Amino acid sequence: MALVRHLQNFFRRNGAALSVFLLGAVGFWILFMIVLPQLFMVDFSFRVNLPPPKWGTPEHHYTLEHYRYMVYGSAGSESSFNVIDLQVFFKTIVAAIFVTIFDVALCYPIAYYLAQVAHGGWARLMVLSLIVPFWVNEILRAFAFRIIFGASGVLNKGLMALGIIDEPYDFIRENFALYAGLGYAFILLMIFPIYNAIESLDKNQIEAARDLGSPWWRIHWRVVIPFAKPGITSGCTMVFMLTAGALAAPQILGGPSSLWFTQIIYQAFNQAGNWSRGSAYAIILLASCIALVLLLMRAFKVRLGEIAR
Amino acid sequence: MIAALREAVVRGGLLTRIGLALFAACFFVYLFGPLVLMGITAFNSSAFPRVSPWECFSVEWFEVLRNDQTLVEGLRNSVFIGIGVVALAVPIGLAGALMLMQINQRVRPWYYTVVISPILVPGVVLGISTLVFWDRVGIMFNASHETFFYNGFFLTIVGQATFISAYSMLVFISRLQRFDPALEEAALDLGATHVQTFRKVLLPFLKPAIASAAVLAFLASFENYNTTVFTIVSESTLTTVLASKVRYGINPSISALAVIIVVVTLLGAAVFEVVKRREQKAARESEKVARGEVPARARRKPLLLDPAMFLILAVFVAGLGTVYFAGTVGVEECKAAVKEEKQRVAQERVRKLQQQRMFQRAAPVAGEGEGEGGSAPAAPQAQREDSSGFESIFAPQNLKEQVESGPPAAGTESFQGIFAPENLESQSGAGQ
Repeated sequence: MALVRHLQNFFRRNGAALSVFLLGAVGFWILFMIVLPQLFMVDFSFRVNLPPPKWGTPEHHYTLEHYRYMVYGSAGSESSFNVIDLQVFFKTIVAAIFVTIFDVALCYPIAYYLAQVAHGGWARLMVLSLIVPFWVNEILRAFAFRIIFGASGVLNKGLMALGIIDEPYDFIRENFALYAGLGYAFILLMIFPIYNAIESLDKNQIEAARDLGSPWWRIHWRVVIPFAKPGITSGCTMVFMLTAGALAAPQILGGPSSLWFTQIIYQAFNQAGNWSRGSAYAIILLASCIALVLLLMRAFKVRLGEIAR
Repeated sequence: MIAALREAVVRGGLLTRIGLALFAACFFVYLFGPLVLMGITAFNSSAFPRVSPWECFSVEWFEVLRNDQTLVEGLRNSVFIGIGVVALAVPIGLAGALMLMQINQRVRPWYYTVVISPILVPGVVLGISTLVFWDRVGIMFNASHETFFYNGFFLTIVGQATFISAYSMLVFISRLQRFDPALEEAALDLGATHVQTFRKVLLPFLKPAIASAAVLAFLASFENYNTTVFTIVSESTLTTVLASKVRYGINPSISALAVIIVVVTLLGAAVFEVVKRREQKAARESEKVARGEVPARARRKPLLLDPAMFLILAVFVAGLGTVYFAGTVGVEECKAAVKEEKQRVAQERVRKLQQQRMFQRAAPVAGEGEGEGGSAPAAPQAQREDSSGFESIFAPQNLKEQVESGPPAAGTESFQGIFAPENLESQSGAGQ
């Protein structure tokens, strides 16, 4: 009843045509683009892997085999756990955490500089030059790092010319290129939330702390960082989720022997033709990322509502 | 002066500033270094994208890029998909934002969480869920494989629009927060219908937001890879073509593409800046006119005649001309020279290698106890081993001629000068 009354109100306020448009567009978005696809994917991940013509037939029954496979591997294998996939999974998560930490350390001073120190045309120029590199395709950016870190790349040539190393060092095999590229990829998504947060900080608070004799690091620790915490958290959340879910950079910059978890998902879909397992792995990735983010948010005492401002 | 400096240092302002400026410099090197280096490789005629060794300044890779059919086709598909995404995501984002303004307070956080979630969900997951969902819907309707349920373009547009709608919703929300609802109420009070109010009051207010949401949506679609690679099925977009190119064999035409994108971006940014300044100036002027300080001007100058705009275009055209001229004139000669040089170096290396092998074969027997410089005792051994090429080896006049005539075609003949002392010295240097 309450729903009907709300709807009537809604129609009275917007008129019929606009109401239909609003409800239709938002309904299509939420139902057919967000919620149902996710539910279907969850459903699909619990079903046995069959060729497409048999989908929907009674043979296509529910099973836990794909989740079991992620942990224990195939029944016939020697080790009792699926060492390869688990290793890749934990490596992906840990590496994504470190990339996030690196990005915070890199972006916080810049965001502070932009928001509090720089002003006028100079600040605008800086903002503009921050944005320009991110109009370049993600793949092209990864490609640029390949040029730098390759065996005959700029870095190896430079180090050899300086006499620091004698032989080309394989930065790609050692994943240096991958981490540098991943750290680069989402800088913008870290800077702008922090910048937005710091910009609204009253300069007088900093001045007051300084006048009361606080050294610069304590000003940041006690005044600026607590104030910018929601911005920092939302930047970290975005960078972490995007890094853990990145596919282009690992494909281009990853060493031949190291995989990113998304690459395993990609292989399940495009090489093994096992959509069910791919879906199951995608859900595992999504669920663990969300769980980790929520856990950290609780640890740092940030509420979800604060981020979504 | 010094006291003032000390004061500044003590207060921490100066040191912090210098530290920050240094840090910012490093940061921008990290930001631009890779792109600049990639840009340089686009103009190097070397077939592998690299900065050194530098061969010739050339624009041939732009030509290669233009003739690359798969890339051109991918680009066309990307533009088509981008337009589709704009057409789908901007209205949805607008509806989502308007809905947020009206929705019941208690439902609001849930609604917001749901519609904002596609931004945080990894693109891979979005792609997979879109693919699986429409595939199963297609099965439910018993649709054939030619229908849109299995069409890469449709799937990609829907998959990308899932999260791009959320982006454009954010753009609309930030604009709507500055909207005065009294305007809408006034229009309704004055007898306008809801549709009229929407079209004549709200939409004009949202016009800039619609433009920026459309640009943002197109760009986000254009450069998306993670979702597209799953939903595109058998078609291709610019990003999927690029990814396969970068993974399986690379050449500098990809750098050339990056150069084009960067130049277009910079040009767009500069034009945007000029337009914005003009608007600000016009606003100030109309304020003055309103106050009656200056008489109203009949018309504003067209954008192209604006001095700043003219300067930008002039610099762009001049730069393009210079690069094209430098990259086409004399490139063939330069490349021929480089090729010759390469061949020379290769021959040299072959010669040295063979020399070295020869020397190693000769040295252990004859050079025992004598060390590296034992040239004379080694001679009989060499003579025994090879009688044809080394016959006149110790004739001084012969020797000199040999050395000066430079390296002939690689082969046994070139080893006649092998035991000339000066040759040997360079030899042992290279061998160690």
